[in-house]
Amino acid sequence: MKELREHAKELLEKGEVSAVIGYSQVSEKRTKPIIVTDPQDTDQLVFNEYCLNNLAVYLTKARIKVSCRTKDKTLKLAVTAKPCDVHSVVALIQENQIHREDIHIISFNCHGVAKDFGFEFSGDNIASKCINCETHKPLYFDKIFGEEKETPKASDDAMERIQEIERMSHQERFEFFKNEFDKCIKCYACRAVCPLCYCQRCITDKTIPRWIESSSHMRGNFAWNIVRAFHLSGRCTGCGECERACPVDIPLSLLNRRMAIKAKKSFSYVSGRSLETPTLVGSFNEKDNDELFM
Amino acid sequence: MKIGVFICHCGENISSTVDCPRVAKICESYPGVEYSVDYKYMCSDPGQNLIREAIQLYKLDAIVIGSCSPHMHERTFRNAAFSAGINPFMVEIANLREHCSWVHDDIESSTLKAIELVRMAIEKVKRDKPLSKINVPVTKRVLVIGGGIAGIQAALDVANAGYEVVLVEKEPSIGGHMSQLSETFPTLDCSQCILTPRMVEVHQHPKIKLLTYSEVVKVEGFIGNFKVTIKKKARHINEDLCSGCGMCISKCPIKKKAYNSFEEDLAFRSAVYIPFSQAIPNIPVIDETVCTYFQTGKCGMCLKVCDRGAINFDQKDTVMVADIGAIIVATGYKLYDIERKSADLKYKGYGEYGYGKYRDVIDGLQFERIASASGPTSGEMKRPSDGKEPKKIVFIQCVGSRDDSKGISYCSKICCMYTAKQAMLYRHKVHDGEAYVFYMDIRAGGKMYEEFVRRAIEEDKVKYIRGRVSRIYEENGKYIVKGEDTIAGMPVEIDADMVVLATAMIPQDNAPALARTIGIPYDKYGFFNESHPKLKPVESTTAGVFLAGACQSPKDIPESVAMASAAACKTIILLSSDTLEREPVVAKVNEDLCAGCFYCQKVCPFGAVEVKDVKDINGIVYKEVAFINQGVCQGCGTCTATCLSKSIELSGFNNEEIFAEIAAL
Ligand SMILES: Cc1cc2nc3c(=O)[nH]c(=O)nc-3n(C[C@H](O)[C@H](O)[C@H](O)COP(=O)(O)OP(=O)(O)OC[C@H]3O[C@@H](n4cnc5c(N)ncnc54)[C@H](O)[C@@H]3O)c2cc1C
Ligand code: SF4
Ligand code: SF4
Ligand code: SF4
Repeated sequence: MKELREHAKELLEKGEVSAVIGYSQVSEKRTKPIIVTDPQDTDQLVFNEYCLNNLAVYLTKARIKVSCRTKDKTLKLAVTAKPCDVHSVVALIQENQIHREDIHIISFNCHGVAKDFGFEFSGDNIASKCINCETHKPLYFDKIFGEEKETPKASDDAMERIQEIERMSHQERFEFFKNEFDKCIKCYACRAVCPLCYCQRCITDKTIPRWIESSSHMRGNFAWNIVRAFHLSGRCTGCGECERACPVDIPLSLLNRRMAIKAKKSFSYVSGRSLETPTLVGSFNEKDNDELFM
Repeated sequence: MKIGVFICHCGENISSTVDCPRVAKICESYPGVEYSVDYKYMCSDPGQNLIREAIQLYKLDAIVIGSCSPHMHERTFRNAAFSAGINPFMVEIANLREHCSWVHDDIESSTLKAIELVRMAIEKVKRDKPLSKINVPVTKRVLVIGGGIAGIQAALDVANAGYEVVLVEKEPSIGGHMSQLSETFPTLDCSQCILTPRMVEVHQHPKIKLLTYSEVVKVEGFIGNFKVTIKKKARHINEDLCSGCGMCISKCPIKKKAYNSFEEDLAFRSAVYIPFSQAIPNIPVIDETVCTYFQTGKCGMCLKVCDRGAINFDQKDTVMVADIGAIIVATGYKLYDIERKSADLKYKGYGEYGYGKYRDVIDGLQFERIASASGPTSGEMKRPSDGKEPKKIVFIQCVGSRDDSKGISYCSKICCMYTAKQAMLYRHKVHDGEAYVFYMDIRAGGKMYEEFVRRAIEEDKVKYIRGRVSRIYEENGKYIVKGEDTIAGMPVEIDADMVVLATAMIPQDNAPALARTIGIPYDKYGFFNESHPKLKPVESTTAGVFLAGACQSPKDIPESVAMASAAACKTIILLSSDTLEREPVVAKVNEDLCAGCFYCQKVCPFGAVEVKDVKDINGIVYKEVAFINQGVCQGCGTCTATCLSKSIELSGFNNEEIFAEIAAL
């Protein structure tokens, strides 16, 4: 913790970055995002199993971005990112939202986080994405802290549910998601926390014409959730923030993970893992598997 | 807005399954529709008059035509609307023929569907905006790829019309396959004699820049404004200094390491070589793969004997970029390889014919070389194995062609003719020899073609046997050809001295790669696709790119030449004006909303999307957005569909218009 704070302080004092996006402790099992611009405030920074938020989402916020730019140069932005959050950073770089050289990535050796605030971190309460996580070490970083520790063992219930959905008939699957989407209140919290939902104007806000009905009626709910899943297929890095943010507990990551599995199976592509591979969306190869075409 | 609806019967094409008067009647009551009528032939002169008069009489702002596909007559109706004073883009077509009458047979339901289709078009036209054509400048220079007879003809025609031509040929000489032929059907005139003068003309033409031993590596831009990158491979000879004396060739000690591909591997060539004596340009090439200097660093004999100092071992490939207005692709064909050394893995071949195993089983081009006065036998009929004159020769047609199981499904078209020619040439040279031809059918459509084949049978006594050959094997110095005479209904066996296989014509190996470089479609075999099989046979589907010769489908010389002149004519039409009018159906980015993900740039097949910086009041770049070059954009709409935030609109097909169409359903 000490090293993290000192590092952040140094970055700010030397003027290498214009801000450090990080976590501060709120209570014992709860943290919140903070954006530190004053070196004095760096002693609020923490990193632990309760740092749930994916802070990559802030990298594209226009006001933060603009604050880094002056006429002759762009200051860097430092971001504290778990190894899985680094995947989002990679995806953002691939999609031209940020440039690698404008970002200073502070990452950690990570052994998992709690499933939500207020839960004691343990095998019973570990976030589902952490159970089979393959990147306890970040794939890209500028500074790394923390020592390697064992991840608590747990069973991957979500995966079981995905397989269960896979086994359903089309009709059953449709009914299943219909029931889930029925709960949606169109608060767009999922969109707000998603690092890859960076569009200035989302298609659902487009009014001429209005492609997606905006009231929280089944018609619009279905369209919204399906369109969002489509827009994220091959892009979602699986941070699970949408599901955690959803106030009515729609299992959004079931949908997203299923799409990710398809992308991996059909195109051997996993989003956010490499700056060198072309993005799945927008790249074409003659040898591409075309069985997904209807 | 006042809308006019015009429902066409298309003779009976539409009206036999769609109740056209009923469609017209119902449309009258739709909001916005001022006038609605049906008529037998809307595209005819009276039909167009009816439209024009209605526009003026009812002061219409937009019209909807229920007719055939817009591919057919969109332009006709837009022009009619324009001449009556409304913007040509305030015209929508509901396709009542291909999308309705032709595919359904129940009158009631197809009429209802027709009504829906027209209603969709009405809703769209209400939202259409007047558009005006885009003008782009034209570069008056033509690129011709391939220097066979087709490329030569096209280059000469374009150059003679006064435009500059860049002719790119991948081999060290132009001439293509025609330069390898002996005499040509149906007149039996010597191929070289009619070809060489044209090759010389190309070389000397002030408007033609000839680049041999060169390849097109990149094509960017669009009709009228292509940027083409050409790689000129190192010949290791300074072209400006070389006089073509051939001293290096005669002194090169490497004589038998490389097969002469011009002679279809029936002879060898030296490491420094000219493909054939009439080559244009008459400048040798050093083949690095066999040259001792390149292999071991020693020798350099040519360097010593060249008194003009033209040998340059250090020469490197060079790359140049040319501005080009139009492209003619004329890269020709190759023969189905059977089991030759470069065997085509795609096709299984005809191992049972012993090609590659028996030296006297040869293909058509090898025969052409043997029959050619300039060939390895100086035109004397000598078989490759022992140089003896074959007294009995068998020609087998359709080797690879019309054979779904082992070869390709299509007919190579020229083999019947060249086999007749070759059998005839054989009989002219070997008076006491016997010539047999195994055939499936004789396809001799063409001026003087059938007569030519009859001449081979009747005057030159070539024996035609209808049927296929099952096997060829060697026995006591003879090649036993076992087949079936399907007319007599009995097996036949001929003990031949030589066998000639009329192998199929297939595209060049690099054709698909080249097609992707240029951005033109090709069929499953690798032949380039024309834009319309009947009405646009020389245009590719990419504007500004034309096709000539056997690269589009198997062709003989007269057809290749005709197609080349047609392609030349099309390019000349294109270059005859200083600017080009383009349809205004192009994409446009809403810069305020664009998130700058550049997925559109990744998917645009024409490279039309650029990056644009957006600056704030202080000149600080605060975001990058997509920008579409309207000259390059072809209006395909791929970007529009890809853009996640729907920040791109395609004029004439914008979100609002499409949505209205769907909602009208
Ligand atoms: C055995 C045989 C006998 C025949 N006899 C007759 C006959 O008697 N009468 C008749 O009318 N027809 C005859 N033909 C048909 C004749 O050969 C063709 O019609 C004619 O050669 C087609 O001309 P082309 O220019 O389209 O193609 P080609 O002659 O194949 O020329 C294509 C040229 O393009 C070049 N090229 C290929 N790829 C590239 C590239 N990527 N970049 C640059 N250059 C490239 C090639 O090197 C070649 O020079 C015969 C054919 C065969 C096989
Ligand atoms: S998914 Fe992996 S990197 Fe992300 S919090 Fe869990 S263990 Fe850490
Ligand atoms: S796809 Fe859309 S949002 Fe992305 S860069 Fe292109 S126009 Fe902008
Ligand atoms: S419509 Fe879009 S994708 Fe198509 S050519 Fe134009 S810019 Fe490219």
